[in-house]
Amino acid sequence: MNNFTLSTFLTSNLQVDETTISLIVDHCKTKTIGQGDYLLRQGEYCKHSFFVETGLLRQYSIDAKGKEHILHFAPESWILTDRESVYFNQPSNYFIQALEPTRVALIDEQFIEQLSEKVPSFIDFNNKLLHNHIRHLQNRINQLLSATAEERYLDFIKMYPDILLRVPQIMVASYLGITPESLSRIRKELAYKNFKK
Amino acid sequence: MTTKTVELIAGPPEPHYVGDGFRVHNFIPSGFRLDMQRMNPFIMMDYNSKFYFSPSEKPRGVGVHPHRGFETVTIAYQGKVEHHDSGGGGGVIGQGDIQWMTAAGGVLHKEFHEKEWSKKGGDFQMVQLWINLPAKDKMSTPKYQAIKNENINRYSIENNGGEIEVIAGEHKGIKGTASTFTPIHMFNVKLKKGVETDFSLPANFNTSLLVVEGSIVVNGSEEAPTNNFVLMANDGENFTVKAVEDAVVLILSGEPIDEPIAAHGPFVMNTRQELIQAFDDFNKGKFGYLED
Repeated sequence: MNNFTLSTFLTSNLQVDETTISLIVDHCKTKTIGQGDYLLRQGEYCKHSFFVETGLLRQYSIDAKGKEHILHFAPESWILTDRESVYFNQPSNYFIQALEPTRVALIDEQFIEQLSEKVPSFIDFNNKLLHNHIRHLQNRINQLLSATAEERYLDFIKMYPDILLRVPQIMVASYLGITPESLSRIRKELAYKNFKK
Repeated sequence: MTTKTVELIAGPPEPHYVGDGFRVHNFIPSGFRLDMQRMNPFIMMDYNSKFYFSPSEKPRGVGVHPHRGFETVTIAYQGKVEHHDSGGGGGVIGQGDIQWMTAAGGVLHKEFHEKEWSKKGGDFQMVQLWINLPAKDKMSTPKYQAIKNENINRYSIENNGGEIEVIAGEHKGIKGTASTFTPIHMFNVKLKKGVETDFSLPANFNTSLLVVEGSIVVNGSEEAPTNNFVLMANDGENFTVKAVEDAVVLILSGEPIDEPIAAHGPFVMNTRQELIQAFDDFNKGKFGYLED
């Protein structure tokens, strides 16, 4: 559960043998960073998509008042990047930081091209990943506009079942767009509802 | 009866902090020689070797976190720890005391240096163990055994050579103080310099020694200094421990629980599905609530 390589991810999602995949993935660099280290800082150009093999990343912005806003957490087998920076060659508005010691596979355009060429089914899969990501963002916007904080929390724990035990609550609150006190209250109310001694 | 030989003597791994109050060497699970199965039912051992904590108005420790599927046992050698849980329980353990918490179906708890102790600071030395529970008891009701040092049954070694605190199990007719779910022996062995004593524990029981103070020789030839962990082989029953200098040794021995282990974070279950359930129950407040 705590270690998921890019090869495993691809072979378990594509009709392809391990030899073909390893020929391509072997060219793919990995990077290991410590807790608190950055893969991307605001103002830099993002060059890769990061596939998390082990560890945990967060992507966040800092507003004019210096407050952090977390867009995503990316635990094992998640892919995280700043698409605006990678695909539109813009300086990034975001930070990508490791919340635990983390190893990522660095995915670049060349890798995507090679994989698409050698493994045609990857094209469909990559498309599916993209649409999945768009769906996720769409849901997130809709929830921030219309759902109650408790509904957003319940959706969060479905998507990220173990994050609450891996990051400080203040970060979960930041992701949900609520104060840490509100998160505490929601969790307390749920406990009163669900805890049976 | 044959000799139980030494399989491995390991020095303390690099320490890391659990919260800000426990500076521990993690002996179990570490690598393939000491994974969760090798010392099963002892599936985790964190050892806070003697370490000076400076005075602090704000007690150091570990905030609210859950456990399910096993027991946590804290053995205090030096320093004081205060704990609270979502079932409304709490208490303080000091030098020589033991807190045996059966998390079983699930608790939230937090552990901090005791307030007054924290203000003064001092040497701190503790062992925390996770002891697995068999499937049939994993979801049972949580409970505590707060074991004060004066209530631990003791075996006295002849000629004033020291004593053996029988925390659990049995040693030479002295029954252990704690109740356990599966057969377990747990002894705190305190030996005067030069004294040798013998033990007989079943061959199939996974057995280890932790040298908490001083240094020892096992079976007449295997030297283990302070803070070393000695893993005994499963090849026999009898072994001897001799104190090279005044020594304190924690002996653990338990019958392996022959069931699959599915572990992630603070949950130890039998299947992946049960783990997913544990995370979901925790997230939805089914472990209760505890203020930070």
